[in-house]
Amino acid sequence: MDYFELYGLPRSADLDVKALEQRFRELSLELHPDRLVGADAHARRVAAEKTASLNEGVKVLKDPVRRAFYLLKLKGVDLESEQAAARLQMPMDFLEEIMERREALESVKAKRDLASAQAMAEEIRAARDAQLSQAKAALGKDDVPAATQALGRLRYYARFLDEVDAFEEELLA
Amino acid sequence: MKGYLQIHDPLKPKGQVVGIDLGTTNSLVAAVVNGKPQCVPVDVGNALLLPSVVHYHQNGGVIVGRPAVEQLAAHPTDVIKSVKRFMGKSLGDVETKKLGAYQFVPGSNGIVRFQVAGGQPVTPIEVSGEILRQLKRRAESHFATKVEQAVITVPAYFDDAQRQATKDAGRLAGLEVLRLLNEPTAAALAYGLDKGAQGLYAVYDLGGGTFDISILELVDGVFQVKSVGGDSALGGDDFDRAIVQKVLDARGLANPTPSQIATLLQAARAAKERLTDLDSTTLDFEGAPFPVTRADFEAWIEPLLKKTGVSVKRALKDAGVTPADVKGVVLVGGSTRVPAVRRYVAELFGQEALHDIDPDQVVALGAAVQADLLTNEARKDEVLLLDVIPLSLGLETMGGIAEKVITRNSSIPTAQAQIFTTFQDGQTAMDIHVVQGERELVKDCRSLAQFRLTGIPPMAAGMGRVQVTFRVDADGILSVSAKELSSGVEQQITVKPTHGLTDEEIEQMLLDSIDHADDDIRNRLLIEQQVEARRMLMDAAKQLAENGDLLSVDERRALEASLSSLETLMKTTEDHDALKAAIHETDTLARPFVEKIMNRAIAKAAVGHKLEDFEGHAADRLP
Repeated sequence: MDYFELYGLPRSADLDVKALEQRFRELSLELHPDRLVGADAHARRVAAEKTASLNEGVKVLKDPVRRAFYLLKLKGVDLESEQAAARLQMPMDFLEEIMERREALESVKAKRDLASAQAMAEEIRAARDAQLSQAKAALGKDDVPAATQALGRLRYYARFLDEVDAFEEELLA
Repeated sequence: MKGYLQIHDPLKPKGQVVGIDLGTTNSLVAAVVNGKPQCVPVDVGNALLLPSVVHYHQNGGVIVGRPAVEQLAAHPTDVIKSVKRFMGKSLGDVETKKLGAYQFVPGSNGIVRFQVAGGQPVTPIEVSGEILRQLKRRAESHFATKVEQAVITVPAYFDDAQRQATKDAGRLAGLEVLRLLNEPTAAALAYGLDKGAQGLYAVYDLGGGTFDISILELVDGVFQVKSVGGDSALGGDDFDRAIVQKVLDARGLANPTPSQIATLLQAARAAKERLTDLDSTTLDFEGAPFPVTRADFEAWIEPLLKKTGVSVKRALKDAGVTPADVKGVVLVGGSTRVPAVRRYVAELFGQEALHDIDPDQVVALGAAVQADLLTNEARKDEVLLLDVIPLSLGLETMGGIAEKVITRNSSIPTAQAQIFTTFQDGQTAMDIHVVQGERELVKDCRSLAQFRLTGIPPMAAGMGRVQVTFRVDADGILSVSAKELSSGVEQQITVKPTHGLTDEEIEQMLLDSIDHADDDIRNRLLIEQQVEARRMLMDAAKQLAENGDLLSVDERRALEASLSSLETLMKTTEDHDALKAAIHETDTLARPFVEKIMNRAIAKAAVGHKLEDFEGHAADRLP
C-alpha cells in the first residue's frame, strides 16, 4: 500500500495538506499503540509499525518536494537511491553552474559570511521552485523522463540548500 | 450463586500508576486521583520535592533525599548529586571532567561508575534507580497499594543513550516504564488538559542546568509535538555563575580557591532568589558585603537569555510557525521564576506566559496525566500524544561524513531504511557506525553504536547491498538492524547503544537487589535513625553552649546523661527500633529546654528587627 492509499488521497503532486493532516490525526487515533490499553505485546508491535508508516507517510506527503520524488518513485524512478541518481545524465553546462555556485558558497563559508550565504540560498530556492513546478507539470502528464530531469536538477539545489542550513546552524551553535 | 465474590471488581486495578519527574536537582512523583493529578509527599517533613541526592554509607546502606544532602559536606565522594548529568555518559565525556568531586572508575561498555563507600562502584543508572525506588516506596505508602508502572520524564534534548539509561534505571527500581515522556510535553499536557484548549502551545523550560523549548499543537484530541530545541548546557546555574564572576572581578580575585567558588556560588544563588521579590540585595563574601540590584543582575544574564531566544526561533522555524500563531506559552523549571526570564519570554512571543501551575510540579503532574491516559480504559479516548525525536540519527559514510537517516523532529514511532553498497571486490563485511546529532562530520556528532555486519558473500564492488533499518519507538529509543539483500542471505543484528548496561547486567543487578532487599531495608531504617540521632546530638550541643544558662544544674545533668547514652547507643546498636526509642526519650526530656529557648528567641526578635532580615536569612538557608 502506498502512502496515498494509506491516507485515502488521490495520487497527485498537488494535495490538500489540511485534509492530509486531518486524516493523519484520525488514523493516529485509530492505530497508535497508546490506544491499545491492556493489549498484548504483539498487537502493540503491529500498531507501532502501522504508526511508523503513518508518520513517515505524512512527512513525505506534506512536503511538496518529497511528495514529487515519491510520486516519481511510484512511477519507477527512485532518485533517492544513489545508483539511479548516478545513472542520470545531467547536461555539462548545468553541472558547471552548480560547481561554480558551490565554490562560491565554500568561500563565503570560509569567511563565515552568513548574509551572503543566505542571499545565495534565496536564488537557489527560486531555481528549485522552478524545477519543482516543471516536475509537477510533467508528473501530471505522466511524462517520466521530463519529471526525472527536473527532479534530477532539483536534487542539486536541495543539497545546496541543506548545506546553507547546516552552515546557519553551525554559526548559531 | 457463582461469582458472588467476583462481582466486586472484574477489572481489578494493578495498583497505582504514577508519573515521575526524575530531575537533576529534585525528583517528584505524582498520580491522578479522582480525575486530578497531584504530587505525593516523598521526603522528610512531607516535602513534595525529593532532592536527587544519594548517600552510599560505609555499612552498605543507601539513603536518598534530604538526609543524604546533610551528609554532603562530610562524605563528598559517597554522596552523589546531579547524577542526571552523568546518565548515558562514558568516562571520556566532558561532563565527567567538569565536576571534580567524584572518584570515577571505568565500568563495562565504557560506562562511567562512581567509587563510593560500602561496596562495589555504582553506575549512574543504579544511583538513579535508588532515587526512583525511594519515590516508588513513598508513593506506595501514600496510596497504601503497589506501584509498579510509571511514566518517567526526560529532557526533550536527551539523546538515545541517556534515554536508554533512564529506562534501565526504572527497571532497576522495579518499575515498568510505560513511557519515557519529554519534560516539556508533560508540562503542556498538564496545562492543555487542564484548560481543555485547542491550538498551538510553546513550552519554555529553563531548569538548573538545561534549557528545552517545545512547540506543540492540540487539535481534535491529538497533542502533536511539532518541534523541539534547546541547549543541554544552559540553566539557572549559569545565572549564579554570572553573579560570581562579577564578585570575583570586583574583588580582583583572578584565581579563587575551590572553596571560595563554592561559597560564592551558594551566596549568589540565594541572592538571585531574593531578587525575584526584591529590587536589590547584598551578598556577603568573606565578611565584605557586595550589593546587587535587580537591574545589575538582569544586565548580566541578558546574553544567556538571548541564547535561549536563538533556540526558540529555530524551534519556531522548524515547526513552520510564527510567534503570533502561538496561543499559550507554558513556563517550566525553577529558573522561570526570575522576573527577567518571564519578561523576555513575553517579549519573544508577544504575550504573557502561563504560570498558574507550580513550575516545579508541572512536569510530574503532566507525567501522571499521561500515565493515567495510558492505563485508564475510561480515558483512553481523551487525548493522544505524538512526540518527536530531538536530534537527527544517521550513519557514518566515506570520509567521516554523517549521513542522516532520520531527521530531527520526526514523529515517533518511526522506521527508516537506507541501502548501502559494497565498495570493494570480494568485500565480506561492512562496518556500521550509528551517530546522533545535526553536525556534518561524524566527529562532531554523538557516537551511539558501532558494529560489523559480516558474512556478506564475496561479490564485485557495488553488487553487495546492505539495508540498514533504523527504528525509533515511542520512548524515543533507537534500534538498528542491518541485512544483506542481493544474495538473498539475510543477516540481522540489533544493537544497543554503547555506554549502556547489557540486559544481562540489569538482570543481575535486579537479582542482587532482591537478594539484599531485606538487608537494605534494615540498613536504611538504621541509617535514618542514626542520622536523626546525630542531628539531635549536634543541636543539643549547640543549644547547651548558647542557652545552657536556661537550665538548672540538675536539669542540665539529666539531659547530658541522656545525650551521652544516646550517643553510645547510636555508635553500637544495629537495632533501629531501640535507637528510635532512645531518640524519643531524649527528645521528651529536652522539650522544656527547647520551649525556653524559643521563648528567648521570640523575645529577642521582638526587639528592633525588621521582617526583611528574617526573610533574607530564611532564603540563605534554602537548599
